[in-house]
Amino acid sequence: MKIDRRSFLSLGIGAAAGTMLSPLPWKITDDLSIWSQNWPWTPVPEDGEITYTSSICTLCPAGCGISVRKIGDRVVKIEGLKESPVNSGGICVLGLSGPQLLYSPLRIQAPLKRKGKRGEDQWETISWKDAVFEMAKKLGDLRSQGKPQTVAAISGQRYGSTAGLLKRLLTAYGSPNFFHVPSMEDTYEQVLQTMGNVDGMAGFDIEHSDYVLSFGSGILDGWGSPVRMFRAHSQLKQKNGKLIQIEARLSNTASKADRWVPINPGTEGDLALGFAYVIIQELLYKREWADKDPQGFEQFKNFVVNGFRPDSVSSITGVDTGIIIALAREFASASRPLAISGKGQGDVPGALAEFAAVYALNALVGNLNKPGGIWAMPAPDYIQWPTLTPDDVAKAGLDQPRLDGAKGSEKPLLNRFAQKVADGYPLEVLLISGANPAYTLPDTQGIKAALDKIPFIVSFSSFMDETARVSDLILPQPMYLERYEDVPCSPGFSKTYLGLSKPVVRPLLHTRNTGDVILDLANAMGDPIKGAFPWENYEACLKQTLGSRWEALTQKAAMVDEKAAGTLVQKFKFSLAPLQVNLSENAKKESDFPLKLIPFDSMRLANDAVISPPFMMKIVDDTILKGKDGFVEINPVTAKGLKLSEGKKALLTTPKGQATVRVHLFEGIKPGVIAMSRGLGHETPSDRFAGGKGININALIGSMEDPVSGLDATWGIQAKLAKI
Amino acid sequence: MKKGRNLQKANKFGMVIDLDKCTGCGSCMVACMSENNVPFKEDESNKLVSITWMKVFKISNKEPYPDTKECYLPRPCMHCEGQHSGHSPCVSVCPATATDYDSATGIVSQIYTRCFGCRYCMGACPYHARYFNWWDPVWPAGMEQSLSPNVSPRMRGIVEKCTFCFHRYQLAKEKAFIKGETEIKEEAYQSACTQACPAGAITFGDLNNPDHKVYQMVLPDDNHHGKPRNPHAFRILERLGTNPKVYYTTRQLWVRKAVDYYAENESPAPGNHG
Amino acid sequence: MSIEEDNAKKGSTHADESPAESHHKDEDGPISQYGGPIIFYFLIGLIASLVVGWVIFPQLLYSKKHQPFDFSHKLHMEEVDNGCESCHFFREDGTFSGAPKLAQCIGCHEDMQGVSEDEAEFVEEHVAKNREVPWLIYAKQPDCVFFSHAAHVVSAKMECATCHGEMGESDHLKIYEENRISGYSRDIWGKNIAGLKHNTWDRMKMDDCAECHLKETGRTSSIQTEKDGCMVCHK
Repeated sequence: MKIDRRSFLSLGIGAAAGTMLSPLPWKITDDLSIWSQNWPWTPVPEDGEITYTSSICTLCPAGCGISVRKIGDRVVKIEGLKESPVNSGGICVLGLSGPQLLYSPLRIQAPLKRKGKRGEDQWETISWKDAVFEMAKKLGDLRSQGKPQTVAAISGQRYGSTAGLLKRLLTAYGSPNFFHVPSMEDTYEQVLQTMGNVDGMAGFDIEHSDYVLSFGSGILDGWGSPVRMFRAHSQLKQKNGKLIQIEARLSNTASKADRWVPINPGTEGDLALGFAYVIIQELLYKREWADKDPQGFEQFKNFVVNGFRPDSVSSITGVDTGIIIALAREFASASRPLAISGKGQGDVPGALAEFAAVYALNALVGNLNKPGGIWAMPAPDYIQWPTLTPDDVAKAGLDQPRLDGAKGSEKPLLNRFAQKVADGYPLEVLLISGANPAYTLPDTQGIKAALDKIPFIVSFSSFMDETARVSDLILPQPMYLERYEDVPCSPGFSKTYLGLSKPVVRPLLHTRNTGDVILDLANAMGDPIKGAFPWENYEACLKQTLGSRWEALTQKAAMVDEKAAGTLVQKFKFSLAPLQVNLSENAKKESDFPLKLIPFDSMRLANDAVISPPFMMKIVDDTILKGKDGFVEINPVTAKGLKLSEGKKALLTTPKGQATVRVHLFEGIKPGVIAMSRGLGHETPSDRFAGGKGININALIGSMEDPVSGLDATWGIQAKLAKI
Repeated sequence: MKKGRNLQKANKFGMVIDLDKCTGCGSCMVACMSENNVPFKEDESNKLVSITWMKVFKISNKEPYPDTKECYLPRPCMHCEGQHSGHSPCVSVCPATATDYDSATGIVSQIYTRCFGCRYCMGACPYHARYFNWWDPVWPAGMEQSLSPNVSPRMRGIVEKCTFCFHRYQLAKEKAFIKGETEIKEEAYQSACTQACPAGAITFGDLNNPDHKVYQMVLPDDNHHGKPRNPHAFRILERLGTNPKVYYTTRQLWVRKAVDYYAENESPAPGNHG
Repeated sequence: MSIEEDNAKKGSTHADESPAESHHKDEDGPISQYGGPIIFYFLIGLIASLVVGWVIFPQLLYSKKHQPFDFSHKLHMEEVDNGCESCHFFREDGTFSGAPKLAQCIGCHEDMQGVSEDEAEFVEEHVAKNREVPWLIYAKQPDCVFFSHAAHVVSAKMECATCHGEMGESDHLKIYEENRISGYSRDIWGKNIAGLKHNTWDRMKMDDCAECHLKETGRTSSIQTEKDGCMVCHK
C-alpha cells in the first residue's frame, strides 16, 4: 500500500501514542537511571559475616592491641582494642592504615633474586627452596673458608623471637656482627647502668605524674608508645597536671604543653644541669637521694655549681634566666615531677650527657622507683632457649673484632657502619630484617656507599624499600596480619608487657615468615647450626617459647605484669663521667652554615622501616609537602634576612648534601633554626603515593658519635638556605 | 497510635570535642576514611579538593615567636538542625532531595544515588564540611578488598560528607532487635572517629538523653536551639544560627574567639552570649 | 489543489452526489478524503507500539538465566526443623545470612544425600573443593539500599512470604530473569511490565517499601518528604 506523508505522520503519531500508553518509555527511563548509577568501575563491596579478631599491631614497637574487623575473609577496618593496657581502645594513623599495607599492590609477592646491576630494579622470581639453598651455599662457603664473621645482620627489633633467631643463627654460625637498630632505649640503658647501677630498660610512670618536664620528647608526636602517651597526657590534663615542652620548634607536643620553652638545639643537657643548679642551691632536692651517695653528690654538686649557673646556661641555651629559675622551682616543688628525654620519637640514641643530666634531675627530685617517676624494667626474659655452645669455627669467628669496634657489649654502634665498611672491614654478607637502613640511618650517601661494597645483601622486607632495592635477594616477610609474632615489650612502659600478634587472614602471597626462613636456613646448613634450632617451624618455636602463656595470649592478645616494676631497684650513683662532655662544642656556629637544621617527627608520617601508606600521605599538611616538594620551616625574621618568602623555593645546603626545598614561614620555630619533617623523600619509584615526594632529611644529616656511649648523638646539622 | 516504634523521645546524636586534649594526630581523619570507603588520590596536597569528612584544622593565635600558640580542631559534619527543625543550610537548598534531615536521630543524611552534583549544598555549608568527587574514586589493585559493605562507595559527580557513621546505628539497631532491646545503649553506637581517638578527645552520644556523656558535658538548651548551658562549651559560628550538633570545649580563650565573629569589645568568656 | 478549485469542483459535481456524501465532504473538508488511510495508519502505529510495549518489550528486556543448580525448597523444607531459618538465619549480631553458604549445606551434604546428577556435581565441584555456589539472588537490591531483616522479621514479626512469596513451597528455582539494562532481577520491578501488583511479594521497589512503611509505622521523621528518614533504608 502506498504510504504518503500524512499517513506516515499518523503512523508515527499512533506509534508515539501507543508507546506512551505502554510501559516501555517509563520502564526504560527507570532502568537507565539505575544503569547510570552502576558503572562497572565503582566497586560494590561484598557483604558477609562480620567478625572481630584481637591481635597486636607490630607496625611500630608500641605494641598496641588491635581489633581487626573482617567481612568474610576481607580485613575492612582495624580498631583499637579496648581491653589493651597499652592503648585502651585508641589507635594511631599507622595502625588504622594496616589494611592498606596488607592489600597493597606494592607488596613483594614471592622471593626475588636480582637480575642485572643493583639499583636497576630488575628481579626474577625464584622458589623458596632455591632462595634458601642459595643462601645456605653462600654462608656455608664463607664458614668453610673460616670467615664467618664477615656475615652481619641488622635487625629492626632488639627483643622478640625473630631477632632472637637471627642472633642465634649468627652466634651458631660464628659472627659477632648482629646489630639491632639503636634508639633512645640504648642510651637510657647505658644511663641506668652507669648512674642507676641496674641492668634494665627505662619505664616512665607518666600516668601518675603531675608535672612532666620534657626535653624535646615528642610525647604527642610518637615518643615511646604513642597511644599510651596520648592517654596519659589526657589524664594529666584532666587532673590539672602540667606539661613543659623544651624544644626549638612548636611541635604538636609543644602546642599542647602548658609552656613551650624554645631552646638552642643540642643544649638540652646544659639546661637540665642549669635546673639542677637551682634545685641544689635552693635546697629543693630530696635529701634521701643525696644521702644514698654523699660523696658522689658532693662531686656532682661542685660540677653543677661551677659550670652551670643560670645566666651562663641562659647564654648557651637561649632560655631566659628567669624562666630557668622559675621552671626549676616549679619542677622541684611538684608532688610527682618527672623529666623525660629522647628527642622526637626517640629514634636517635642521642647524647648520653643529655640523658644523664635529665636522669640526675629525676634523682634530685626523688622520683626513681616511685609512682609517677622512672622505673627500671627488667628486659624481656621469656625466651629461654637451650644454651648454645658454638663450635670451634664459630668460636674463632665470634672472637674476631666486631664491625663497630665494640666487643662483647650489647650496644650496636651502627653509626660507625658506613665508616668501618669504607675503611675496609671485610663484610661479605649483610642480612636485613625489619629495618630499612638505606633510608633511616643518617648520612644516606655514606650508608649507600657502604652497602655498595658488600657483595651479598639479603632483605626480608615485605616492600621494595630503599634497602631492598639495593639487595641481591629479597625474602619477603608476610604482613603482621598474616603471621604470628611475639611482642616483647612496649617502650617506656612502666609495666612488663608481652603480646602475641596473630594471623587474622591467610597469607595472601607467596611470602614466608622470617622465623621460618631462618629455621630453613639452619636446616639447610646442617649441623652444628641445624642442631641449634630444635624446632620444626616458627610457630612451634613460638609456642614452645611462650609455654603456658600461649593459651592466654591467643585469647587476650597481651599480658601485663604490674609487679615487675620495682623488681629492679635503681641504686643511684652520681656518676660524673657521662656528664663531663661538652657537646655544645659541636653546636658552635660556623659562618658558612649559619642555620641549624633539625628534623622533626610527627604522628602523620612513618619514619622507620614502614613507608607511609596512602591514608597517611593524604593527611600530611600542605606546609610540609606540596605535590612533590618538601618544605623547610623557618622563622619569618630569619626568612626576611635571607629574602625568602612563603612557599618559594630555596637551596638547602649542609656539609653532607644539598636539596631544593620550599620554604614555610612559621612563627613556632626559633630564629636561626630550620626544621624539616622526617618520613619523606622515599626513593621508591613504584610507590605513586609516597615515592619521590619531599626530601629524606637523613641524606642531609651526618651522624655525630657520642664520646662516651659511642652511639649517634646527632640532633641535626649546621645548614644554610639560599634563595633560588 | 501506629504500629512500630517511636514511643520514646527522638534521639539527637551529637558530639563533644575537647580541644585541650586533641593532639592533631589525625587518627580521627584516617579512622573515618577507613570506615567509610573514602577515596584517596596520589596527590592530596591540594586541600581544597581533598576529601576529608573529618578534618583536623590547625588554628593559631597569630602571635609572633615565642608567644605563638596553636590548637587543633577536628571538624566533622555539624549535622545542623537550623532554627526550625530540619532547616540545615544544606538540606534547605538541595534541589534533588539528596540530603535530608531525620528528626528521629537528628542526622543529616546524604543519599548518593539522588545527588547529581550541583554542589549547591557545598556553597550553603558554612563549615566546608561537604566534599565533591571531582574524579571517580580509584582504589589501587587489591585495596578494594578493604572496602566496607556497610557504606556505599561513591562515583564521580557526587557530594559526600560525614554521616556520624549512621551505618553503625543501623547495625546497632539490628543487634538490638535480635536481642529484644528497645533502646540503643550509649556504647553500642559510637562513630569511628570517637572510637579511634587516642587522646579520648571526642565524645559521641545522644544530646537528648540526660544519661549520655555528651548531654552532661554540654547541657544543651532546647529552648535556645541547643545552645550549651555549660559556659566552657561552645559551637563554631554559633551566631549563624545553624544549630550544629558538634560542641567544643576548651579553657583557652583565644581559641573560643577564633571560631566565631566578635565585635571589638566583645569576649567569648564563659557566661557571655558569644 | 486550492480551496477555490476544490469548492468549484464540489460545486460542479454537486448535482451528481448524494446529499449524504456532499454533506460529508462539505463538513469535514479535505481530510475526509484521506480519513481512512490516516486513521488506518494511526491505528497500525498505535496497535503495533502497544504490542511492542506490552508484549515484545518485556520479552527483550529480560535475559533468562538458570541457577547453577535446580534447588528444591519443598524437598529441603521437609528435611529441616526450623523452616526458612534453618538455612536463612540471623547471626548473633542481628545481621542476616542471606542465601546460604557452603557451610550451611555441608551439614548434610558432606556426602551425597540423593542420587541426582546435580547433587553429584554439587558435592564434587563445590563441597569437595570449597567453592561457593554462585547463586543468582532474586531479591538483590542496589548497593545504596540498606535492608534490615531483623527489623522486619524479628521486630515487626513479618512473614518471609510477605516479601518473597511462597519460595518455601517451590520444587524448582524459577528462571532468573535479568534486566539487560539495569542488571537486576525482574522480581524487583515485578513480573508485570506496568509495575502493577496484586500481592505484596510481586514488587520490591522503593515505593513498595515506602507504601508499607507508611501504612504500618506512620513515621514522618524526614523533613524533606515527611515520610520515613532516608537513612533508614539507605547507606
